[in-house]
Amino acid sequence: MSGDYLWDGCGPRDSDVAALERLLRPLGQSEPPPPFVTLQRATRRVPRAAVFVMIASLAATIALVVVAWSARQPAPSGVEVTRLAGMPTIGSQPMAARGALEVGRWLETDAGAHATINLGDIGRVDVDPGTRLSLLRTRPGDMRLHLQHGTVHATILAPPGQFAVETASSTAVDLGCIYTLSVGDDGVGVVQVQLGWVGFVWRGRDAFIPAGMVDVTRPGLGPGTPRFEDTSAEFRAAIDAIDLGRGPAAVADAALDRILREARMRDVVTLWHLLARVEPRSRDRVFDRLAGFVPPPAAVTRDGIRRGQREMLDAWWDGLGLGTAQWWGIWKQQWRE
Amino acid sequence: MRLFFQVNPTAAARPRSEAVPDDVVRLVRAAQGGDRTAFAELYARYTRMVHGVLIAHAPWAEVDDLVQDVFLAAMERLPSLNEPAAFGAWVSAIARHCAVDAGRRARPTTELPGTLAAPACERGEALLVLAEIRRLPEAYRETLTLRLVEGMTGVEIAARTGLTEGSVRVNLHRGMKLLRERLSGRTS
Repeated sequence: MSGDYLWDGCGPRDSDVAALERLLRPLGQSEPPPPFVTLQRATRRVPRAAVFVMIASLAATIALVVVAWSARQPAPSGVEVTRLAGMPTIGSQPMAARGALEVGRWLETDAGAHATINLGDIGRVDVDPGTRLSLLRTRPGDMRLHLQHGTVHATILAPPGQFAVETASSTAVDLGCIYTLSVGDDGVGVVQVQLGWVGFVWRGRDAFIPAGMVDVTRPGLGPGTPRFEDTSAEFRAAIDAIDLGRGPAAVADAALDRILREARMRDVVTLWHLLARVEPRSRDRVFDRLAGFVPPPAAVTRDGIRRGQREMLDAWWDGLGLGTAQWWGIWKQQWRE
Repeated sequence: MRLFFQVNPTAAARPRSEAVPDDVVRLVRAAQGGDRTAFAELYARYTRMVHGVLIAHAPWAEVDDLVQDVFLAAMERLPSLNEPAAFGAWVSAIARHCAVDAGRRARPTTELPGTLAAPACERGEALLVLAEIRRLPEAYRETLTLRLVEGMTGVEIAARTGLTEGSVRVNLHRGMKLLRERLSGRTS
């Protein structure tokens, strides 16, 4: 202890400092801090070549701008791939140090191969060994890959909703982040988010996964319930039991018991997702546990949550302090086929 | 938002701490090498400090968004950081530049008058006190927001900002003395 209250809050209490702390702390960073989400208003960087535009003649100026801008964008029908190790193939043909992956073609890496896909200003995707993926679309504001199996690591700088990866069991929509997505031969996918957010969506069932959380997606079931990576093995098994929905009701009840008993403040995202995923008869229990961490806003009623009312779920999400539901509602509208 | 500046933390005038934890250097080097988890850890460790620096300078309503701006810029510019040990000072400088940009973009606002009657709620009073802190000399302003708003201890402030503990202690005590005088003058 230093004995200096202003220094570290220890020692004889300074009443002025204590009063200012009490008054000002609500203005500080929230706990836990919000996830890192790239802003929608982030602008494209000016290509370096454009710096020289200012001293060139008008005709040369126009030509330089066109050439420089084209060089910064992915090819209209494909994306650039760089070989990092081994011998990746594009369309079953070994690629040179650099190649072009065009729409509809497959990029494959064997056990010794490693590649990176340059998405221009959108970001990049690193492709691990043992991966097979294809390019579905490269429309402006809508770039999409299909991951059949293997692992990719995405670092995305684009505004939310502009990049997505489809798998057999879900579509992972980038909401501005860094994440790893793996798909097994059985089509089961796992996403681990290191920074920002990923949205998983499949036939009306969605999940929102912030940094530090993991989600499993299964063919025929879609995205599971997100959970933090530091939860216990029993907690994760209980989540799986509820997501799979198999077995007698007693199994689901025991699983829910485990989750509610072990849930911490930071597991509010997990609990919020469970509100819509457990049977209506069990929703009161999740309601009470979540309310113990984050009281529901005035507009949210127990009966409305029991009946799965979307507006009330959204209002409680807004109350978690992680960003508004309106925001992901907007990208969902843009995303509907 | 575009940032066309080169931040050189070694040119800063304030004395620097030598005791930067080794794992910060390791995290920065790993992040520079493309390790995403390392950058996520840096975000987790420094976001409160960045929030506090921004609170000391930027329009209050924009601070949460500006935190994101700062880390986006840091992520993009990280390869240019030659001294990983200076990460805290480097990202603080990015935060100050972002705050300046935001201030230039902000709509003109009326400065709170010193004779404003007592606000009807605590939030209003908190913002008035924050306004007084923001009028303090720059060295005191940030240290006080990190201590009083973000709840960081002197040791934490030194470790994150790169200042020596001695400098932080001086800033805290001199800043608090000035703040007491100004708040006393406002209410008397």
